[in-house]
Amino acid sequence: MKGLKLWRTFQEGARNYTRNGWLTVATVVVMTLSLFIVSMTMILGVTTGLILDSLRDKINISVSFNPEVPEESILSIKQSLEKYKEVAAVKYISRDQALSDFISMGGNDPVITQALEEIGENPLLASLNIKAHSPEQYDIIAQALNQSAFKEDISRINYEKNRTAIERLDNINKMTRKVGLVLGIVFISISFLITFNTIRINMHSRRNEFEIMRLVGASNTYVRMPSVFEGIFYGVTAALVTIALVFVSIRLMTPLTEGVIADGTLFQYYSSHFFKIALSITGLGILLGILGGFVAVRKYLKV
Amino acid sequence: MAMIRFENVSKVYPEDIIVLQDVDVSIEAGEFVSLVGQSGAGKSTFLKLIYAEEMPTTGEVYFDERPISGIKRKHLPFLRRNIGNVFQDFKLFSQKTVFENVAYALEVYGKTNEEIQDEVPQILELVGLTGKENKYPKQLSGGEQQRVSMARALIRDPKVIIADEPTGNLDPIATKDIISLLLEINKLGTTVILATHNKSIVDKIGRRVITLDNGRVTRDEANGKYVL
Repeated sequence: MKGLKLWRTFQEGARNYTRNGWLTVATVVVMTLSLFIVSMTMILGVTTGLILDSLRDKINISVSFNPEVPEESILSIKQSLEKYKEVAAVKYISRDQALSDFISMGGNDPVITQALEEIGENPLLASLNIKAHSPEQYDIIAQALNQSAFKEDISRINYEKNRTAIERLDNINKMTRKVGLVLGIVFISISFLITFNTIRINMHSRRNEFEIMRLVGASNTYVRMPSVFEGIFYGVTAALVTIALVFVSIRLMTPLTEGVIADGTLFQYYSSHFFKIALSITGLGILLGILGGFVAVRKYLKV
Repeated sequence: MAMIRFENVSKVYPEDIIVLQDVDVSIEAGEFVSLVGQSGAGKSTFLKLIYAEEMPTTGEVYFDERPISGIKRKHLPFLRRNIGNVFQDFKLFSQKTVFENVAYALEVYGKTNEEIQDEVPQILELVGLTGKENKYPKQLSGGEQQRVSMARALIRDPKVIIADEPTGNLDPIATKDIISLLLEINKLGTTVILATHNKSIVDKIGRRVITLDNGRVTRDEANGKYVL
């Protein structure tokens, strides 16, 4: 009998959902907006993190060596550098490599090619690109290089140039985290309140029905369950629309972030997490719907 | 043994509005009782105390000799399943068809679909609504809507039918129909309590009449007339 009653309240919820026309549309729209705001707040937060990570990944110290230093010495310096615990990776770039990188970076610009031909020889220096585990460590590494035995071989260290960029990036990172967290909480709270209210107004406009149900002898649970199921239906519909909207938005954001993100495009990144995102949005929608339905009817139960 | 018994019942709403005062009334199973009085005399409150929509301020109401105030909130649905309610404004689900409105009263206490398919048409036939199963309330006349509400009240075979101004919104012909339906139901053994201020109806019924005035029972006559 319990199963039968539960099934009936489920059907009842489904009927309310399909027969309430504009009330259903209004509730779903508000819920969708709410879920969309919450999702986009999260997505923007994650995207900022991604961008910062990939920018941080681009930070390194580049040590250029004087042209007369032979390749073997540079490689042995590389080996000794790799032993430092602060150093994550060292990459050797030979003069030839540097030249071909330079040419390809210029996109085979005829002016550049011509200029290089005029110089007659390779004007670029061999260098070591050093990556640290974390941004703060670059300072230590730079100091170590300046005091090293091979100091004389070094033409220049372009760390100072990057230093302000590194520090600024770190500040931005900390700021966005704080602002994102506060904004996220504010947005999420507001949208939850609005959703709750919409469901309450929806139920309020049908308060007579709850009275009839009780007078006809329905138990509190029997009165309440259809609204809870109805809430679930609202939640699921709103979640489906939201998922579509979120991925369209990501698609639109993708060209703006081209080249700023480490691997692949923004869209590829989020597509690979599609199920996780879809599941979270749906779960949140269902949770909102259940809570909304449950709380909204409470008032009419005289419990 | 009285089916419904009011023992020294008073009902006072906040700010000292006295709605019922020292009411002592017994209603036996199978009776047809007309409850009369002007608007605000306390008729609706009297009825609400029976189906536990309100609780007395002092005194006690007994249903089948069990005190209603002793029933736990969560057991109220079981009391209400013994009582069929009919209201002036019908109180039908506007989003449900005639069939669904009546079926709801069976669904809430777990009757199977087969039983529902079997019983609803019978009761609709009894109230003369065969053929209107798939109509929505707004597609029906007032008299027809009230018959749906009667069918819903009757389908669970309640011990008592409580009708609060059931003809208040109806034309004279529909009124006559509903009253004869109530008399018919009573003939089959169901107790009927009819609250009304329609004098001609009460006089025509010629059964027990309880008169309320300012919250007090001023008359209680076995073959009463509407006298104020």
